Amino acid sequence: MAAAPAPSPITEPFTISLIAGRYLLFDVDVIAHCRRAHNICGLLVGTIPNLSQQNVFLGIPLELMPEEARVLVDRDAAYVVDDAQAHQTSFAEMSREERLKYMEEMDRRGDEVSREQREMAERRKERALREKGLRRKVLERENSVAESFAESTATDETFQVDDSSVASSGLGFIMKGSSFVETPVTEEKTQVDYGSLSNSDLGFIMKGSSFSDSWVQIKAPKIDSPAAEASLFEPTPASPSPAPSVGSKRSKSVAVQKHFVTPTTSYPPLPTPAKDPSLPPPAVPNSYPLFRYLHSKGYFHMPGLRFGCHYNVYPGDPLRYHSHFAATGLAWDQEFDLLDVVGGGRLGTGTKKAYMIGGEDPEVDAKDKDPVRAFSIEWAAL
Amino acid sequence: MASPLRTFVSAPTAVTATTHLPNEQSLARQILHNLQHQHYWTELQIHTHSSLTHAPLPRPLVSGLPPQRLYVHPDEQVELLKKADRERKARAAGEAGGLQVKVEPEREWILPTRLKEKWTLRRLAGVFDALTMVPPAPGPSTPESMREEDRSANPWRTTKRVLLATVDTDSTVVYYILHDGVVKPRQN
Repeated sequence: MAAAPAPSPITEPFTISLIAGRYLLFDVDVIAHCRRAHNICGLLVGTIPNLSQQNVFLGIPLELMPEEARVLVDRDAAYVVDDAQAHQTSFAEMSREERLKYMEEMDRRGDEVSREQREMAERRKERALREKGLRRKVLERENSVAESFAESTATDETFQVDDSSVASSGLGFIMKGSSFVETPVTEEKTQVDYGSLSNSDLGFIMKGSSFSDSWVQIKAPKIDSPAAEASLFEPTPASPSPAPSVGSKRSKSVAVQKHFVTPTTSYPPLPTPAKDPSLPPPAVPNSYPLFRYLHSKGYFHMPGLRFGCHYNVYPGDPLRYHSHFAATGLAWDQEFDLLDVVGGGRLGTGTKKAYMIGGEDPEVDAKDKDPVRAFSIEWAAL
Repeated sequence: MASPLRTFVSAPTAVTATTHLPNEQSLARQILHNLQHQHYWTELQIHTHSSLTHAPLPRPLVSGLPPQRLYVHPDEQVELLKKADRERKARAAGEAGGLQVKVEPEREWILPTRLKEKWTLRRLAGVFDALTMVPPAPGPSTPESMREEDRSANPWRTTKRVLLATVDTDSTVVYYILHDGVVKPRQN
């Protein structure tokens, strides 16, 4: 068995995001750390909107019960951050330098995305050509096109004074498949080549390739041609050779559709927010003392809905162990029906658990002994 | 006309003057009767005062000896099975017989309740605080008998437990074991 990857270290205290009254964790490493070091499992809730899945298919974020968040906060292992508020105040207070840096970072990411997209398009093109058995030929042709293009522009430069029809042949690059009888042989050749190329491009479009892909393919000559035209109509051919090269270079960089990245997280761009002492600790139900007590004994907890209790209590990681208790936390003087005890005890015994009720005696000082008492209930089989 | 059971249940309790209400006393007698005649328990008695504090119990409690062991802690069960396995191997190879697990019955506390009652954790804790680990043997309790009781106590019996007997108005009684503390469940 391959060794598990070394866990990336987590610096405590980490942040728990409070969003819409829910305590959420978004970092996989923090989630693993919680489970490993604090016996806190939480519940993965990430799913596709409007198509919620059963629990095995869920992803991040991890939702913590208020009790779990409270235990982590009380241990000083974590602190709660009101995410919406932190986002707004931090962005409002962002300095100009930070903002610029952040926008640069977003630009860089956008470039990355577009580069990836371009590479993917290249790969797709190559694959499609290979399937048609055209790859080698086209590559050769491309080379010849590039050469002849350079040649033709060179000849254009030489011809431009006496032959203006060449300019229209340049336009012919755009209008695929149009041929000019009076164009020179070299022009004819490149034109045909381009025509075949752009035909194959059209084929791509037909095959339903992405818009940006075809856009890149078609746009390239379009952008290129005005540049060529500009160079054609330059009155003084001072620098004849660089012009086309610049044009082609520009076409390469400009032709790719620019991507604008909208960040989905507030941090990285923002520094991790500091602890807000005014934020109250997570509000917990009156079953919390039992949770805290069992957690302090090393038990793991899962929500108890499936067994009609507050917590399913596991002696170890729930992935390895069967749960020992279906626990219900009560206030010290909260009345309960014996029918609930009977029902819980019967259900617990039927599922190889014990039913448990427990709570905190408010009159016992925590320094003397644990104020929480728990009672385990099993069917007597009489 | 009152049936014999009815007269038994509502019979005035013995000389011990208690503060317990008649319905609490008759409840204890009803549970005692049920254990004695439907579950063949023996050495049954009703306790009105705590043997720890000598204060009156929250309600009369019953103690008794079941015909078989009522509760075996899972760790004790593992130990007993290992022991039985060793004994089986020690026996002659030709001798037939599988695992023979022998456990002695233990005296138990019984807490009589009615289904319509409401309970709180405070009251439950109060009941446990008034109880000894093992109920005292019937008869006059002497220091010798108390010591003997301690010596014979099961080393696995480390938490207090009572048998919660809940009776409905139709006289159905259900029994649940109530442990004082976190006790892992039996693997049955």
